[in-house]
Amino acid sequence: MTAQVERAAEWVYRGIWRVLSSWFCVPQHPPTLPSHGGEVRSFHPSIQFLKYLKLYFWIVLIVIDLLLIAAWGAVFWLNPLVGLLLSPVFLFVIVVPDVLAYIAIHLRYDTTWYVMSDRSLRCRRGVWVIGEHTVTFENVQDVKVHRGPIQQLFGIAKIVVETAGADEGEGENQFHIGNKAVLEGIDNPDELRGLIMDRVRTSRSAGLGDERLPQKAPVRWGADEVALLHEIRDAARGLA
Amino acid sequence: MPPASRAGDADARYNGSSDPLSTRAKRGANTSESHAVAEESRTSFDPMSFDRPHESLLTYYILISLCGVIFAPFIFIPHLIKYKTMRYTFDHEGVSMKWGFFFRKEVYLTYRRLQDIHVTRNIIERWLGLAKVPIQTASGTSGATMTIEGCRDAEALRDHLYTRMRGAREGQVADGESGAHADDDDDPVVLLREIRDALRDLHREHPS
Repeated sequence: MTAQVERAAEWVYRGIWRVLSSWFCVPQHPPTLPSHGGEVRSFHPSIQFLKYLKLYFWIVLIVIDLLLIAAWGAVFWLNPLVGLLLSPVFLFVIVVPDVLAYIAIHLRYDTTWYVMSDRSLRCRRGVWVIGEHTVTFENVQDVKVHRGPIQQLFGIAKIVVETAGADEGEGENQFHIGNKAVLEGIDNPDELRGLIMDRVRTSRSAGLGDERLPQKAPVRWGADEVALLHEIRDAARGLA
Repeated sequence: MPPASRAGDADARYNGSSDPLSTRAKRGANTSESHAVAEESRTSFDPMSFDRPHESLLTYYILISLCGVIFAPFIFIPHLIKYKTMRYTFDHEGVSMKWGFFFRKEVYLTYRRLQDIHVTRNIIERWLGLAKVPIQTASGTSGATMTIEGCRDAEALRDHLYTRMRGAREGQVADGESGAHADDDDDPVVLLREIRDALRDLHREHPS
């Protein structure tokens, strides 16, 4: 029975995807990044992230549905006829938003892509509004890792990669055009953070567009001084 | 609502590698340009020739104005002015953009100072094959420094910007390291160390 239900659900979900991709131009494949010989990784958030989202979904579902059922019961108690007449409405309001929200969670998960090359990071997310964000590691100022209590329970973290000028709080809205690239639901945050910070550390500039500035040249001795040093060394060796 | 001709692979359309290019190729054929020119434009997007937003941006503006129902004219007129006056200038170093009639705005920036490139498409834009390309520098403004609108080939534009921003190409990261070790024998530090060792040896052999 459950296998059948699962197959049906999968079939429905694939149908939704077909509609989305053919009518609403939602891309199915991950975004690409130009590769420079290095490996290009593209990945979804961790599967734990899906479970994390579903936990919230079930909590909200139970609270709202209990309230709706209580309201329905109250109407029944006051006037059984009205309660009976309203039952399709109540059933609709109780069931349909839940199904939609459940599908939306899956779509959100499946349309979130992170692509990382050795030089840059690209995130794409969204179904109705599809937003894509590209940063090069050369421009990254800092990396933040957030782990909430429930996220810790699921072993996931949110990584925020900031470039210069990022505003506090601007990452709250997923679709804000900001200087923050947000990677949600990452189950190996330390590894990713390490990879990104390695790239940032090897960068020789401040990440503000100054890579062509001459490096402060170390004081070097001229040819004459070097020739003189050669002489002194040879003299010292001759003495030895 | 979506035109039937748009059925097909969503990715190709989303990535702008099929639809805009094929329509462009078609347009090239319609205006009796040679196929070679169409082929040429297929391989490389030329931002230098991108100075006006595509006509479908006006369609987009009309559609979003209609969402305002009775306020539609008030939404549409500023957008129409923006559409009519919007001009882009791409050169080898950077890009500038200006728009407006009563209130004129101009934004200038260089590719090298780009930090973030976004590409956003809402559903209407996707149907029209449009995209917004908001780009950001390190300035503290919240929101985009410049939003390039009306581009039918946003992926090519994005790649054009991406390859010119810092850190996207080879040989930029390791720039400072070249020439550090020219020749060990002429390195004063090495020489001085050798002198010191020679003198030490001397001292050891002939303790005073």
